[in-house]
Amino acid sequence: MGESSLLWLRVAAGLYSLGLLDAIVTVLRRREGLFRIALGAFGLGAIFQLVSIVEQGLVQHHFPVNDFFEVMSLCAWLVTIVFLTVYWRFKAESLSVFVFPLVFVMTLVAALSNPVSRWSSEAVRSTWLTVHIVLALFGYAALLFTAVAAVVYLMQERQLKRKQTRSFYRLFPPLGMLDELISQSLGAGFVAITVSIVIIVIWAHISYGTSWIDNGLISTSFITWGIYLALIFFRVSAGWRGRKAAILAIIALCCSAVTWIAHFRLESHLLQ
Amino acid sequence: MKLLLAGVSHKTASVELREKLAIPENGLAEALRDLQNLGASEAVILSTCNRVEIALTVPDHEEPAPVIEQFLNSWKSSENAFEGHFYSLEARAAIQHLFRVASSLDSMVVGEPQILGQLKSAYAIAKNEGAVGGLLEQVLTRAFGVAKRVRTETGIGQMAVSVSYAAVELARTIFGSLNGHSVMIIGSGKMGELAAKHLHRSGARRIFVTNRTWERAEEMAALFNGRAVEYAQFLSVLPEIDIVIASSGAPHYILSRDDMQRTIAVRKNKPMFLIDIGVPRNIDPAVNDIEGVFLYDVDDLEGVVSANIRERSKQAEQAETIVLDEVERMMARLKLEEVTPTIVSLQERWENIRAAEVTRALRRMPNLTPEQRPEVAAQMDAMTKAIINKIAHEPISALRRNAGQPDGDQFIDAVRKVFHLQD
Repeated sequence: MGESSLLWLRVAAGLYSLGLLDAIVTVLRRREGLFRIALGAFGLGAIFQLVSIVEQGLVQHHFPVNDFFEVMSLCAWLVTIVFLTVYWRFKAESLSVFVFPLVFVMTLVAALSNPVSRWSSEAVRSTWLTVHIVLALFGYAALLFTAVAAVVYLMQERQLKRKQTRSFYRLFPPLGMLDELISQSLGAGFVAITVSIVIIVIWAHISYGTSWIDNGLISTSFITWGIYLALIFFRVSAGWRGRKAAILAIIALCCSAVTWIAHFRLESHLLQ
Repeated sequence: MKLLLAGVSHKTASVELREKLAIPENGLAEALRDLQNLGASEAVILSTCNRVEIALTVPDHEEPAPVIEQFLNSWKSSENAFEGHFYSLEARAAIQHLFRVASSLDSMVVGEPQILGQLKSAYAIAKNEGAVGGLLEQVLTRAFGVAKRVRTETGIGQMAVSVSYAAVELARTIFGSLNGHSVMIIGSGKMGELAAKHLHRSGARRIFVTNRTWERAEEMAALFNGRAVEYAQFLSVLPEIDIVIASSGAPHYILSRDDMQRTIAVRKNKPMFLIDIGVPRNIDPAVNDIEGVFLYDVDDLEGVVSANIRERSKQAEQAETIVLDEVERMMARLKLEEVTPTIVSLQERWENIRAAEVTRALRRMPNLTPEQRPEVAAQMDAMTKAIINKIAHEPISALRRNAGQPDGDQFIDAVRKVFHLQD
């Protein structure tokens, strides 16, 4: 990608990061704090990204869909335009929780097409990686905790619906508290996984240039993040709570576990 | 000391009889003074709507029953009316009864917490009058400990046993704390009002009332500092409500499945608890199938209450075991206190013999120099004390061991005779 085009793309990614921040605030504090600012930044980001795409096209003298990064940039821009149109038409503000982080991560990945200079020291490199691992593990732990709370929620809810009162179930926390726990741990896990994704993408970009795209571990992180994003979206936007949210949390944990197992089995198979 | 507990309770006498025997709170101090004047060393009077009981102690050489008889003669002239309804328990049985009463095992609603407060209040009045301070005080303070142990180790007081409390308990199971939650009362049934009162006391502060009669809605809303809502408008307010109590006399469903589906969608699936205590029912039972909606009608709530009562009965069995265990411990402690004077006498007697023999032995050693004498005396003291301690160990242990046994008194008598201990 051309230097100038890449610069506009990075500016766009920087503006989209305000959208990510707004999504995090919405998830953690459950109120729209920065939406107006984030929306303005998002519109501005879309203009910069369009400039980047057009410039890249002019340089290449054809539509810029030559590699993974260019496709990613174009997809991110299209998602942005669709979101802005839907928002302008229907004021569907709640979609931002899903769209803002997605567009930011897509644009961030697209902006990492050109290799940069390697790590200045091994200590910085390993610290960067350690922070990613800790945050990713925290995210998985939060997902596990969410799923456990969801199982307890389903059991308690079933008892209440069936109007049975067994003394065993008195030991469980109230439904409201469980729902709050699910919500809090989901929010915390989402933030941890999102930050860990951003860190690992930048880390991989510096360490391996562009060859990290097909790395299994990074793909696994992206899949888990995608599951988280869907969970958050259904919960915050569609108002999914209670039984649906609990089932979704359990499915998310299962998906995440399957992805991990598949990844490691595949890796050991390939190593053989 | 002899302990006697006599009285009537909901199990032995009708409310009319209990009323006749009841002593008002402002008369308790005088009644306690009278009991002491009649010969009671200690006395406590427990007078509640479900029981009137007098517990007293008298010295060993006196009988407690005449004290009660004279007291009733002077306070309640028609004491014959209580014949066949009056129970009288002594010593161990009295202790066990007090423990059971304090633990709410003898209450009309097993596990209700008020009785312990009432017993504590009766004890406080007696303490204030100087009417306790020995055996009865020991038993009462232990009874409070037993009640606490029963509450801690069993779930006897945890489950609601009335329909309105069951509703509050279920609301807590759904929402956790009720602080800040909103309640809507539809209709003006008494049970609905009672349930709303319990919810209000439990922290639900935003109360809405709707009724076909606007004045009635305003009247009830005023009771809870709430807001009256036009009956025709209540569906539009429903999405703001967490708990609905329906107790109207409407002959048809006033809340349909469609109404609730719309409401829950507006609430973004935030859960709702619907209590239908109207007969005929006010809410379509199909509403319970909607996710996030929990509907309980009168039969459901009564089912919860029945289950709770059964659970309390199970817990009561466990509580009875605790009470029996505590009675055994109390009896053993009291017996140990009884045997203490015998042990002290025994030790004094052996010590006197030992000291006299050491003195006599020292007199038989004229050749000892003044420097040697204290040293030899100390050695002889140490040796003889060791012998006495070894000989005394087994009989004293046996006394302590046997103190709590049924034939403990005979054993103590035998020891006193064998060692010529004075009474």
